[in-house]
Amino acid sequence: MASSSVLSRVEPLQLPKRLFALVPGVALLVIVGLAGKVLEKSINTYTKAHHMVVPNIEYVLWAILIGLLISNTVGVAEVFKPGVATYEFWLKSGIVLLGARFLLADVLKLGAVSLVLVLIELALSIAFMTFLGRVFKLSPKLTSLLAVGSSICGVSAIIATKGAIDADDEDASFAIAAILALGALALFTFPPIGHALHMSDRLYGLWAGTGVDNTAEAVAAGALYSDAASKIAVLAKTTRNAMIGFVVLGYAIYWAVRDRRQIVGSKAAFLWQKFPKFVLGFLAISTLASLKVFSPDQISSLANLSKWAFLLTFAGVGLRISFREMKKQGLRPFIVGALGEVVIAAITLGLVLAASKLVHI
Amino acid sequence: MSETKNQVGTEKQNEVKPVPRRLSLDSWAAILGLVLAALVRFGLLKHVTW
Repeated sequence: MASSSVLSRVEPLQLPKRLFALVPGVALLVIVGLAGKVLEKSINTYTKAHHMVVPNIEYVLWAILIGLLISNTVGVAEVFKPGVATYEFWLKSGIVLLGARFLLADVLKLGAVSLVLVLIELALSIAFMTFLGRVFKLSPKLTSLLAVGSSICGVSAIIATKGAIDADDEDASFAIAAILALGALALFTFPPIGHALHMSDRLYGLWAGTGVDNTAEAVAAGALYSDAASKIAVLAKTTRNAMIGFVVLGYAIYWAVRDRRQIVGSKAAFLWQKFPKFVLGFLAISTLASLKVFSPDQISSLANLSKWAFLLTFAGVGLRISFREMKKQGLRPFIVGALGEVVIAAITLGLVLAASKLVHI
Repeated sequence: MSETKNQVGTEKQNEVKPVPRRLSLDSWAAILGLVLAALVRFGLLKHVTW
């Protein structure tokens, strides 16, 4: 009761104030994203004018690198933080808009292949991460958080599971730091491996979507390969995200049994609460596009809007990476995460290559 | 009298205001996407370039 009366006295910020607080950070996302885009264009123009042969570095990488440079030198000031945190919102809005570029038949076909791959990946990665957590003597709840983070969708899954299994803040921040560090690493390792293996855009996109944990990094890893790969990575990752409710519910039941607690409320309501609703927006727009509600010019406009939204996301990915913060979290969770990620990346690569032999992707 | 006033005050303080149900970030993202799609479809947002 005491706590509820305290809660009732805390007045939340009014909506206009909350929106106003986002302005500086969103402006920073726009500036960093645009700087990445301008840099790519300028370098291309310069190298062409001087007949130089230089590998093209995409705006995606520039935006991430500029963001990374800012966050690890001058740092991101408090005033920018609320707005920078909106990058996940832009990511999800971008995914919804990208639905216009998918026909429902494609979504069902690739989604079905992704779903099978995701289910196998889920089972193997949860088992492997649990095994690693025991070997490295991590706390059982931290192990659960790392397993969920690496098998489903990174930070969102960790936050959802933290509440469901009643884990400590410290364990959650350990797991989030490890997943983010490894996501950053994936950005620089997945594309060269894909090129070395001469993977097609579709195969690589499927691999990035099933192998990279956090949605923003999975989309960025796809975009660093090609536009087409990014599109497939989004679809595979969205399929993976849709499984979040089931895995979190599984863990909630497991920990409730272990702690002799009872799960309050209906399981269906729990699943609906945890279900990522933007997936429904993506499916709705994809259905409208399949029904030819949009003209080709309108589809191109929607795809471009989606690219603008992703530009803000990539800027946010860079601005969020802080090596200092990662160092603070210690090495053990990072090592467990890294070992797990290498194995999961290898497993998903094997699965994608095997699936390409069985089904025409 | 003042005691009654205090009691009323305490009751008012302890009254739990219903927390307004807020839409999740995911839902807002879906809404923004659908609104933008509608604007494009009905010609209010034309030729978005990259």
